[in-house]
Amino acid sequence: MTDILLLARTHVVTALRERVTLFWFLVFPIFLLTILALIFGRIGEESEIHFDIALVNRDVGAPADGFSARIASIFVEMSTAKESGERPLFSLHAPSLDESHDDFLAREEQALRRGELAAIVVIPEGFHEAVLATAMAPIMPDPPSFEVLMSESDVASEMAAGIIEQIIVEVDREILVQMGRFDESAAIGRAQVWVGEDAADEVRYVDFLLPGVILMGFFTNGLFGVPGAILFNRDRKVLRRYWVTALPVGRYLVGFSLGHLALCVMQFVLLYLLGRFAFGARVSFARLDAALLLVLSAVTFMAFGFLIASLARTANAGMAIANVLNMPMMFLSGLFFPTGGLPTFLAVFAAVNPVTYLVEGLRTSVGVQTASTSPILLLAVPLGWIALSAAVASRRLRWDVAR
Amino acid sequence: MTQQAVLRVTELTKHYGDVRAVDGISFSVEPATVFTLLGPNGAGKTTTLEILEGIREPDSGEIEAFGQRLRRVDRATKARMGVLLQEGNFEAHLKAKEVVALFASFFGRSVSVPEILDRVALGEKANALVKTLSGGQKQRLAVAVALVNDPELVFLDEPTTGLDPQARRNMWSIVEGLKERGKTLILTTHYMEEAQALSDWVCIMDHGKLIAEGTTRQLTADLAQNTRVEFRAESLPDVARSALEACCLGARAEDGTIVLETADLPRTMQALLEWSRKHDVPLHQLGVRQPDLEDVFLSLTGRRLRE
Repeated sequence: MTDILLLARTHVVTALRERVTLFWFLVFPIFLLTILALIFGRIGEESEIHFDIALVNRDVGAPADGFSARIASIFVEMSTAKESGERPLFSLHAPSLDESHDDFLAREEQALRRGELAAIVVIPEGFHEAVLATAMAPIMPDPPSFEVLMSESDVASEMAAGIIEQIIVEVDREILVQMGRFDESAAIGRAQVWVGEDAADEVRYVDFLLPGVILMGFFTNGLFGVPGAILFNRDRKVLRRYWVTALPVGRYLVGFSLGHLALCVMQFVLLYLLGRFAFGARVSFARLDAALLLVLSAVTFMAFGFLIASLARTANAGMAIANVLNMPMMFLSGLFFPTGGLPTFLAVFAAVNPVTYLVEGLRTSVGVQTASTSPILLLAVPLGWIALSAAVASRRLRWDVAR
Repeated sequence: MTQQAVLRVTELTKHYGDVRAVDGISFSVEPATVFTLLGPNGAGKTTTLEILEGIREPDSGEIEAFGQRLRRVDRATKARMGVLLQEGNFEAHLKAKEVVALFASFFGRSVSVPEILDRVALGEKANALVKTLSGGQKQRLAVAVALVNDPELVFLDEPTTGLDPQARRNMWSIVEGLKERGKTLILTTHYMEEAQALSDWVCIMDHGKLIAEGTTRQLTADLAQNTRVEFRAESLPDVARSALEACCLGARAEDGTIVLETADLPRTMQALLEWSRKHDVPLHQLGVRQPDLEDVFLSLTGRRLRE
């Protein structure tokens, strides 16, 4: 057992002592999380950012100074041109006087699907009365909701939803302060509706991003780290020194894999802590399904690395294959941005890309995305890649330089 | 050869495509001796060793190690062997002591890492990263790794190739130390002087075949018994050649040196000095040299070892 543990330690120690490896495996994912969270996570603070949203106030019977009207007026206010000439945050679409709410909603929903609109806010009928009743009740029941329709395939939609969420939080606080019940509970809830999907809970970009960046770390580690370590050590005849000892290849493989998984654990811990404490991510991975998906992801990407190592004749060829696969596999997977609306050939690539399923599975398990794929498929595709990689590697992977 | 051979090889063959890298060689290695495979680059020495080390499988032939007949060298046999590869690296970012501890774990033995590093004079470099070690230090680390399981049989494949003279001397000391401790060593080299200095038994290989074997003394006595008289001269005119050949067995020019082979040194020297005086030809760097393994290889193949 000592040999396996020392081999695992060797893999970890050499990765951590090698500056280039350290950069790609740990520094780069941290850097990426920081950059993306800073750019997109505080999107509402940037005055030049602009979204088209639609607003439907179905609570027509409510008083003019009621909660429904006050919420609607906030959106109107935020879509009004400022005296400074700065462009307002929102362009507001509202139904015309001679148009029914249903017709308007149907039309705007199509615009949302086409990406011409970032979100649709729907204040339901009786909303004012429901808020009032909730706020006055001795024990606060579940708060009434209004709907925010968003497009799953559009990152702008998610950003707009994040801003709308902030608006609701502020209004909510104001209502509760007025009622003397601040801090007790929420008076308004919000049903977030992904167009074409079931309702999901609130999603902040950093919560959406963090599982993606963690998987990107695992992905890079597997895609580059595994063939890099195996092929460079093979070509430099580091491995040959092992094969003239009593060490069997199988034990080396176990030690190497353990070391690789240990590096993944380190990546996860660092990125999670950074996301949580630096960017306020609230997403929690303390669930069995999330933990299993993290392990499945690390193993799938490691297997993919062995597949590349099997197909490459030299270390440089291995790195070239990894480079060719890296960007398309990462960006056509939904790691950072949703992949809806891709052209057919790219959609096919995304459909066979294991990253697509792992990131969707992980985000679903931690509650920041609603699965559009069956759980069986979410597991079957990565497991299929593991089986394929293992089969190819067991036949083709050379552990010593060719004569 | 006796029955107690540590290693016995019979009709070993290995092809790479159309090339017969090892062509039906047979030999045996006695315990507590230094057995040397000598030959030029490409002679088949390293392929032979790689088969015996378990890296490659032979096409045909038999291997008997420690009394066990093997088709291929197995783990149990490897556990009793130590190998210094001709080429091979360690993880550049490991410390010397970490490398030794790692390799010790492969054999399930509890060795004292400081002791083994001291044995190869690397005690002070225990915490140094491999990438910071010099070529000679890396080679000594490789020796430490080869000895980490206290092996009965040690393979040293071209142990001094690429080392400076001082590092080469250090390596020779290590080999002599192992010999004194009763280890059996199999050495390959293309340095004639190394084979001559360290070997108890020498097998000369060329084009995948064993072309001669024996002790250094036997080989030189049998195959290159004539003494060499040498002096510096750029060329040997035909007139001079016929005059000199009259007093020796043969005369030839090699790299600015005239070499006379003789079985009667006093007669040859007397004739040479007279010829020099008579023709007023100075004999720069005149010397007498006993035949060595280089001469043996030359007499067997017509080529020098390093050609």
